[in-house]
Amino acid sequence: MTEIDVSDIQGFALKGYNFPYARYLLLELAEPAAARKFLYQLLKVVTTGERWDINSKPMSVVNIAFTFRGLAQLEIPLASQLSFPLEFQQGMKARADILGDSGKNSPEKWDLVWREDRVHAWLAVNARTADELEKCCGDMLALMDETQGARVVQAQEACALTINGKFSPKEHFGYTDGFGNPDFKGAERDCVPGQGKLNQDGGWEALATGEFLLGYADEAGELPVAPIPHLLGRNGTFMVYRKLHQNVGIFRSYLEEKGKQYAGGKEKLAAKFVGRWRDGTPLELSPDQPQPAIVADNDRNTNFKYSDDLAGTRCPLGAHMRRVHPRDAFGFNGGLVNRRRIMRRGLTYGEYVPEGQPVNDSDERGIIFMALNASIFRQFEFVQQQWIEYGNDAHQGNDKDFLLGNHEGKGRFVIQGTPDPQNPPFICGGLPNFVELRGGDYFFLPSLTALAMIATNTVDPR
Amino acid sequence: MNAITPMKPWKTPFLKLIFFLLGAVKPLQKDLKNLSFIHFARWVCISRHAFPRLSEQQPPENLKYDYLLFFSNFNGTWNQYIDAFSSVLSKGLDLIWRWSEKYPGSQPVTDFKRYISLVQFDTDYYYNVYPDSATNDVKAALRVQSALVKFSQTSQTLSSAEFERAWLEFQVEVSPHLGSTGIAPVGT
Amino acid sequence: MGNVNGTTYGLTILSPILEDNRLDICHSMELRWYLSQLPRDHRSPFAQLSSTYLARLVVMDDVVFVGHPACQEHLKSRYLVFETNFDGDLDTYLRRMATETKEFVDDVWRHCVGFPGTGDARAFIAYMKKCQLSTTFFFADVNDQTVDSTLEALKAQAALAHFMEKNQGKSAAELQRAFGEFLERLRTAPPLPRGGDESRAIPQEKRRHD
Repeated sequence: MTEIDVSDIQGFALKGYNFPYARYLLLELAEPAAARKFLYQLLKVVTTGERWDINSKPMSVVNIAFTFRGLAQLEIPLASQLSFPLEFQQGMKARADILGDSGKNSPEKWDLVWREDRVHAWLAVNARTADELEKCCGDMLALMDETQGARVVQAQEACALTINGKFSPKEHFGYTDGFGNPDFKGAERDCVPGQGKLNQDGGWEALATGEFLLGYADEAGELPVAPIPHLLGRNGTFMVYRKLHQNVGIFRSYLEEKGKQYAGGKEKLAAKFVGRWRDGTPLELSPDQPQPAIVADNDRNTNFKYSDDLAGTRCPLGAHMRRVHPRDAFGFNGGLVNRRRIMRRGLTYGEYVPEGQPVNDSDERGIIFMALNASIFRQFEFVQQQWIEYGNDAHQGNDKDFLLGNHEGKGRFVIQGTPDPQNPPFICGGLPNFVELRGGDYFFLPSLTALAMIATNTVDPR
Repeated sequence: MNAITPMKPWKTPFLKLIFFLLGAVKPLQKDLKNLSFIHFARWVCISRHAFPRLSEQQPPENLKYDYLLFFSNFNGTWNQYIDAFSSVLSKGLDLIWRWSEKYPGSQPVTDFKRYISLVQFDTDYYYNVYPDSATNDVKAALRVQSALVKFSQTSQTLSSAEFERAWLEFQVEVSPHLGSTGIAPVGT
Repeated sequence: MGNVNGTTYGLTILSPILEDNRLDICHSMELRWYLSQLPRDHRSPFAQLSSTYLARLVVMDDVVFVGHPACQEHLKSRYLVFETNFDGDLDTYLRRMATETKEFVDDVWRHCVGFPGTGDARAFIAYMKKCQLSTTFFFADVNDQTVDSTLEALKAQAALAHFMEKNQGKSAAELQRAFGEFLERLRTAPPLPRGGDESRAIPQEKRRHD
């Protein structure tokens, strides 16, 4: 068991809070002395990864991360700045070619706040209730006022969807979300079957800590690339923030149209797109109908492999979930996959539109996608470039990911099948962009120690 | 990719023996085929006395080392290629390059990458007969073609009902292999 | 022999490059400039040498010093490395080089020591064989095809995917008729251009396999 220093790690890096309300305050920092003063005050309230006592679960939590511009604004020493990985220094906008963020997803189409390069920090507040969210955000604003260290450029609301009057784990397209985050050594929970990496016995075990936290051994048996001094990096991690607009109207009408042509019917087609039925049942475990009992069972709902389905007759070779978490689909017992995993932290924004009601795709609606990883280059960027915007590893040529691909109306998704008339092969052509990128950036989520070093201006690169 | 590494001449026969055995038992070949991103690759051991000398005016080479030349025609990005080699072909690579001077081993990957960068030399001209197709695309197309040839021999003589059934089965057979081809994403 | 795998031949040539101190632009630099301007698409000389899958030309300036305690040493000549993978036997390929891509071969190898020109194909073949290194181990993922059969398959696959998509949901009789027509169209469709279309204008760094 790897010992990790939970009291030094921001809680956001270790757990999904599962609070329904969030506000991401995108900050512009003031001159360094004032900004440091603000961060110093913030140190007392930033939520760490310490386990919560049942009786003292907080009502709200606070976390902070910085863009490279933010660290430069704070004037950490140049030698430390330049020791950060290149892709983080460049920021997400400069990586557009690599990420396939072109056309509708290109930086000139992003929200103003991301086009203008003004975001220095991401201050996240998650809360159990709307009142607690307001209260905590109010405290944050008061702190900024008092120290004059930062101001909010934009506040991005996010909230779990309300469906039939209740909070739901679904996202706007109607799929139950939030399965499948990789387990790593030292994290709070034990390894859930299907969630770490495959071992030689065919079972699952947690990934190396260094895939998700700096300062610990990674899957290659090395310390991840990290800034100097070591204390600045240790217990920190990198975060990718992407605001993904969802074209619910386009999705629903595409599904409706193709669902009429597909012999398995609309719901099965929706399942083939993703690899799970919309209630969350994995196709690999139940190819013919959803099974709520599987969804409810944490030992089963992510516990499957693809090696028995290499022809994609249950879960298509290009299904979203199979692409982004291929398990053993590429052979070598998952050996090509273990260093490409990302930790997802996402929350929806915008109002849910019930099925059957008119949808306006120009309304603000989508998901704030956040991914944590030790190397944005090796993990997130690889997944985005090779598995979402390209299909070679999945043996699908240049076909892109059905849901996230930047298809520009030309995309194609092949559904493999069997001679069973209810499960025939089917080709979805003319794919539009179901999801559009509206902006985001790369962030560094420091440890408490590193935050204190930054706040007290004691970062010393030697 | 082109790489050249020096070897002490007494080690060259061992490497040649390994290649001979490799050709016979083919475990590395199987892994390379499963990785499926190399069309063609070759290793050439060149003795320090064997650099071609074409005229008396050309000064003879005076070398202490034999050299191992490596040429690989792969698709995907450089990092993806080296990462995959290091993760799943580590032993096979070490068997081949352990005879080269200063070879650090293929794990951990960072030292391995540094070594490859050092011994690599750049291509001036490259031609690919199918620049839009990765190795997987070629193999997929060959599978489709073979199924198509078989199906087309009988397809027009079947009754409508027989055709319907046979067409479904044909589609089942080819549907894993229908990915489109095109330009690959840029490297970093 | 390591030069052959299945029906594919892997040729490795190391031709010493001329050194001439009297020239203000040396041979290797001129050669590099020429190679940088040579088309890589269907206008490439290797598209003419129609049995070629993948070919590369590299000016190798020197060997590499890998660091202490290894010794530092240097080559006395620069070498042109020519690596090519093709269908069939070596003599046929070299003869085709001398006859069908004469101009290209002369432009490249005139910078090399002892190059006899392409006028006498036999002399050229003998020269190339003198420059040849035998391959110790040659890997070919697919080794039972030809360039023609591979291009044919790529064409068929793309066309079939399109056909299947456009004809989903048709009745069996309609489908059977359409499929017959499709086979006919496929038979008469021109082959894919070797080396790709220039309209694609793929920048060098975006091309595969380099």
